[in-house]
Amino acid sequence: MNFTAAGLKRGYIAAQPLALGVLVYGVTFGLLARNAGLSIIEAVLMSATVYSGSAQTATVSGIAAGAGIGASVVTILMLNARYLLYGAALRPWLGQASTLQAYSSLYLLGDGNWVLSIKAHAAGESDTAFVVGSGVAMFLPWLGGTLLGSLANEWIADPKLLGLDFLLVAFCTAMGVGLIKARHDWLPVGAAVVAAVIVDRFASSSWTIVAAGLAGAFTAFVRAKEPA
Amino acid sequence: MTVRFDLLPLLLAVTLAAFVCRAGGFWLMRFVNVTARVDAALKAAPLGVMVGIMVPAALRGSTPEWLGLLAAGLVMRFTHKDLVAALAGVAMVALMRVVAR
Repeated sequence: MNFTAAGLKRGYIAAQPLALGVLVYGVTFGLLARNAGLSIIEAVLMSATVYSGSAQTATVSGIAAGAGIGASVVTILMLNARYLLYGAALRPWLGQASTLQAYSSLYLLGDGNWVLSIKAHAAGESDTAFVVGSGVAMFLPWLGGTLLGSLANEWIADPKLLGLDFLLVAFCTAMGVGLIKARHDWLPVGAAVVAAVIVDRFASSSWTIVAAGLAGAFTAFVRAKEPA
Repeated sequence: MTVRFDLLPLLLAVTLAAFVCRAGGFWLMRFVNVTARVDAALKAAPLGVMVGIMVPAALRGSTPEWLGLLAAGLVMRFTHKDLVAALAGVAMVALMRVVAR
């Protein structure tokens, strides 16, 4: 078991091809966070603490619709539920690091560096610092991008004419369509649409998000088959 | 330029929630196994959330927003790049709003 500067550097370098995409994504989040009413500091603070593009986008959308703490927390839990799987998959390897090393690596865990780490480990990487190295390589452009985007928003006179008020919804649509991988994904989608249409009549948008997420998760839970 | 004090408890709460997800699976693996049902539910939750964001926008919008949703969805289907698809959706909305003027 080892956790060295060399491993950290290997992770940092391995993640560089993804870093530019993260920067552009960060700029987009900065723009839409400002459009949803967050200040520059609030946007950057959120990127530094929540550090999850899809979860931040959904939460900001909720805040703009007047979401409170309860709805925001449930939204984050549903969007980041996949991290439970990521962390579980890393256990056999990252479990060899010290508790502090492991949990600080997990703080910086993202979709991109998780995939990289799993691949690297399968290809023989044994240094657990690879995980945090690749995490840092994604975290820094995410913060920088958020700052750039929220600053750039000041220079745009009429965001609505540029369609920027739609950026949030467009992003969620793209991410949602990207998540549909197989035919069996359409049933949770259908359940979520029904739940959203019904709840939208009675409650604020933030609870519509929660209801749709739970409807999708519950439908998938019920229809999935346990291997015999 | 400032931080609203009423937003701080919310930010703290979502920070904790995000970390619970990151650390939770790693921690729980000391005790339990992820079953196929749990796995399916964890994967479907984000999809449901995205639907929950789209549906109110579609219900409240009109032609520019509907075409924007369609553009974002179609471009995503063909390019598999969410950034490109989102910008296509935004461009469509901007274009239609100019046309509708």
